[in-house]
Amino acid sequence: MRGQLLLNGILWLPILGALGLLFVPGEKKNVIRYMALGTTLGTFLLSILLYLVFDPSVAGIQFAYKVPWIEQFSIFYSIGVDGISLPMVLLTALLFVLCVLSSWTMERSLKAYFSLFLMLEGSVFGVFLALDFFLFYVYWEVMLLPMFFLIGVWGGENKEYAAVKFFLYTFFGSVLMLVGIVALYYASGQGAESFDMVALGGGKFEELRLDIFGMDVSFSKLFFVFMFIGFAIKVPVFPFHTWLPHAHVQAPTAVSVVLAGVLLKMGTYGFLRIAFPMFPGASVYFADAIAWLGLINIIYGALCAMAQHDVKRLVAYSSVSHMGFVMVGMAAMSLQGMNGAVLQMFNHGTSTAMMFLLIGIIYERAHHRMIVKADGSRGFGGLSTVMPRYAVVFIIGMFASMGLPGLSGFISEALIFLGIYEKYPEITVLALLGLLLGAAYLLWMFKRMFFGSVLEECKAYPDMNKREILYMIPLCVAVIVFGLHPAPILNMMRASVGELTALLSRF
Amino acid sequence: MINIISIVLVPLAAFALGSTIASTRPMVTAFLSTGAIFLSFVLCLIIFGDYLLNIYDPDYVLTGGFPWIDLSYGGEEFTINMGFYVDNMAAVMLLMVSGVSTLIHIFSTYYMADDPRCGRFFVYLSLFTSAMLGLVLSDNLLGIFICWEIMGFCSWGLIGHYFEKEEAGLASLKAFMTTRVGDVFFLLGLVIIWSVVGSVHFRDIYAGLEQGFFSEATFWGMPLISLAALCLFMGTIGKSAQFPLQVWLPDAMMGPTPCSALIHAATMVAAGVYLSLRSFPLMEAANLLPFIAYIGAITAFLAATMALIQKDFKAVLAYSTISQLGYMVLGIGVKAYNPAFMHLITHAVFKACLFLSAGAVIHTIHTQEMDRMGGLKDKLKITWIVMWCCTLAIAGVPLFSGFVSKDRILGEALIMASSHWVYGLPAVLGFVAAGLTAFYMFRMMFLVFHGTPRDEELYGHTKEEKIQWNKNIPLIILAVFTLGVWFCGSLTGQGLIPLASDRYEWLQTLVVRPLDPGPLSEEEAHHAHSVHVIGAILSLVVASCGIFLSFMMYQRRAWDPRRWVQALSAWYRVLENKYHMDDLYIRGLIGRVLHPVCRGLGQFDLRFYDRFAVDGWAKVNEYCFRFARWFDDLWVDRALVDGTGTSVRLFNVVLRMVQSGKIQFYIAVIVVVLAGYIWTVSI
Repeated sequence: MRGQLLLNGILWLPILGALGLLFVPGEKKNVIRYMALGTTLGTFLLSILLYLVFDPSVAGIQFAYKVPWIEQFSIFYSIGVDGISLPMVLLTALLFVLCVLSSWTMERSLKAYFSLFLMLEGSVFGVFLALDFFLFYVYWEVMLLPMFFLIGVWGGENKEYAAVKFFLYTFFGSVLMLVGIVALYYASGQGAESFDMVALGGGKFEELRLDIFGMDVSFSKLFFVFMFIGFAIKVPVFPFHTWLPHAHVQAPTAVSVVLAGVLLKMGTYGFLRIAFPMFPGASVYFADAIAWLGLINIIYGALCAMAQHDVKRLVAYSSVSHMGFVMVGMAAMSLQGMNGAVLQMFNHGTSTAMMFLLIGIIYERAHHRMIVKADGSRGFGGLSTVMPRYAVVFIIGMFASMGLPGLSGFISEALIFLGIYEKYPEITVLALLGLLLGAAYLLWMFKRMFFGSVLEECKAYPDMNKREILYMIPLCVAVIVFGLHPAPILNMMRASVGELTALLSRF
Repeated sequence: MINIISIVLVPLAAFALGSTIASTRPMVTAFLSTGAIFLSFVLCLIIFGDYLLNIYDPDYVLTGGFPWIDLSYGGEEFTINMGFYVDNMAAVMLLMVSGVSTLIHIFSTYYMADDPRCGRFFVYLSLFTSAMLGLVLSDNLLGIFICWEIMGFCSWGLIGHYFEKEEAGLASLKAFMTTRVGDVFFLLGLVIIWSVVGSVHFRDIYAGLEQGFFSEATFWGMPLISLAALCLFMGTIGKSAQFPLQVWLPDAMMGPTPCSALIHAATMVAAGVYLSLRSFPLMEAANLLPFIAYIGAITAFLAATMALIQKDFKAVLAYSTISQLGYMVLGIGVKAYNPAFMHLITHAVFKACLFLSAGAVIHTIHTQEMDRMGGLKDKLKITWIVMWCCTLAIAGVPLFSGFVSKDRILGEALIMASSHWVYGLPAVLGFVAAGLTAFYMFRMMFLVFHGTPRDEELYGHTKEEKIQWNKNIPLIILAVFTLGVWFCGSLTGQGLIPLASDRYEWLQTLVVRPLDPGPLSEEEAHHAHSVHVIGAILSLVVASCGIFLSFMMYQRRAWDPRRWVQALSAWYRVLENKYHMDDLYIRGLIGRVLHPVCRGLGQFDLRFYDRFAVDGWAKVNEYCFRFARWFDDLWVDRALVDGTGTSVRLFNVVLRMVQSGKIQFYIAVIVVVLAGYIWTVSI
């Protein structure tokens, strides 16, 4: 029962916080800030408690909590956690605390900002914890709303465009997913378990055929493709990725962090929770395509990143590249590949969050993010001299992001390579190229920003202050500790991931 | 177990602690690092002493380890273990790394004392040393790879130590990226080996080789073992600056000189050779040795030619490092396992010493250009003597260590050449490079220390050298170990004048390659011996030629080097441009291929794909909407919906016309109707 309470607490505390903020007068800015911080910190503590009571040896769902919601359609309020969602919950809880701290100096409509932010947190938890498909969909859609406003109101100069683009792109995917949900509801007999994400899994629909305009179509393959597009947009997988650079460049720092750190993982989480277990046969059938798309992500993202002059856009494209590793690892469907993919989801969350927070810090000082300005002159220069502490943290974040051994990114990438080689040797060879390019664009960026003579305009930049150091430390610790000792995270997910791999290997 | 792991952990702890106080207390950091590495050195010395004095068994191995990653679930097993593997080679290597590192740390406390970023320097140095020691200790390829990359990171940080300088930033980027090319191949090789053997522990790899795990497997028609070995060797090429990836090492001299000595001369660059030695059975089974021999010989030769014309003090040493690393690789290629390793050790000692001496000179006169030096022997006496010892060693003069090890490699190369023509070219290149080495090293010494001062003002300002413990002592210790007798137990290295029993040839008997085929037959041994003697005489002749030429050109000034330059001007220009390899990579591959592709893709993605293919849907939608509106307005609305109203209205008009309320109209209508009625009836 403790577990169920914790789960509900994690899910509803941010929403309650968001509602509570509405009753605070807007001019009491510090009260609002501390309330937001308190809420996220409380949630983070609850998630730590959840980690402590979680039993890593159990493969299935733990602390399942299920009460009827809309009984006529057998829709339940059903939540629970397993080894795949727990790392995501922990990551989300951590990142939101840091994001609140990083938005501390935000002045503009603070109340609305933080209450939307907490609402976002609640809905993200909803996505990761929901076990009822309808509930999942509701949270998936609800999440769009705060995101839309956070980008559209607090964003950069082209914010409306980016917000609408983000919304429409994701909405397009969700509609396809909705079709899938309805189809599954009817295919599973509209019974009490027709929206139950666990009960729907296991490959029950592999034999089912559909007659569409006279064509004989496999039910699972068709709806796997529907789900795939829905989740692929979120990841984002190659042809559906262009919302990402716009959204990132326009979004405020904290929203970028959440976007890259958590929201992208919702896509890959969707594969692991829904697409793979519900359509295992189709997943195996489409694995080659997923792997090659992942490879395109890796190479294409890296090459595009190298061409960028805007640091934030560069890191946004690097996310495309790194999420490609997750896709490739999942497509291998081997023990190492799958574990590596889930670990990469977590590790990318921490390292990319570091990068975006760091970019936010420099943006606060310079009010631009251009490595090379529009007129061809340098945007930054000699930051190592001016801001030595910032440079150190940046080095840690950058090398974690490029997968330097000893930092977290390496282990997940190495596991993925070990996992995919036997099935896709060609992809392994080409994906290694992505590793090379990844180092190239990050180091080149670093060289241009931090080395060389100090630019006149950079001389006045203050180094990181205490608050900034405070919210960078947890991430620095995370990338170093999980780089040297990844066992805590791997143990957490080992059983659940192993079970999923075993299921897929039967098809 | 704990004492072996502490070898790595002590410098690592110094790194962790040092990084918190590096900016506030630089000197404390410096001595913390130095103390830590000294402690490691003592631990290594204990292990080494055990091996040399007590155990002295070529097959004795210390092992231990711990599970690191465990993903086993259900029936599927997958674990990664980390552990150490101290065999004879590792014991010697540990001693060398920790010893040289300790001395360089001590020297750095002198060299870096006035540097504002002294703390940062020592923090990187500590991390580097612990990674290097970890690499030597590691019992598996993954552990080696991890340490390997961490060293690359430290190298990046230290080359960029003077990061205000544009070139330093570029050099660090170039060094990291070039070695990363090799690293990526290394990782691929590791993955391939894992897929075949199911583990990357050396023992499992050796066992797998003996059981023929690799025999069947192919990849794109290539035997998998060749591919795996080639990939690992690519790692060596990157890290040990072999042709064609040698371009980064000369630029790496942008870092402070002690770090050049430690990382870019003595230890890190030798790690590549160490990896190849560790996986020697794999390389041999893969038939990769001729390729390795060619790469090594070409590197040794090309780098030696480039060293001929350098004007920068450190650049000569940098190219000589590449050249000597080429010798080690050549040694691996000609199955001279033990001599290659021996050369690694001897080279580490004399090259570290050379760089530190160079550092002492540079620190005193604040220039690296040899054109402004000359005659310094009167001012820097100790450095001058020390540097001569090293020069004699690297040039291959008997009694000195370089002669012993290099000569053995060349001897083995000659034996291989006599057995198969393929090895002919490597052997020839090796001998030529030996002559070139002697020439350019003596040239450097003559230019720096002898003759008359070319920059009187600079010379005048140079202070007389006084003995300083942290400056001269490390140099002297290193110089003592440039004598060959320490390594081979005989004065000449060829067993002509043995000092004592066979046991004092400790390096030769202690370090035996894994999966050793056993001793040679008597006939072969006799052949080997005679070829060795020929090789020794040949290399002596070649080296003396180089020394003589150099003496005539730079000391006696009898032959003017400028005339030679004019005579060979085309060749000279090629050398000045470093064989155009930098141009090929940076201007060609990166400038002409990578950048345009990246820029093109970047433009394509946002300006074309996103704008047309994605945002284009907005246009498509707009047209759809417009069509829908048109259809709706015209047909649905006007014709059908409004049409109803219109028809009613039309009817209204008629009715309104009829019911106008004008009596005259009504009467007229009545009259017309009546008239019509009557008319129709009357018909």
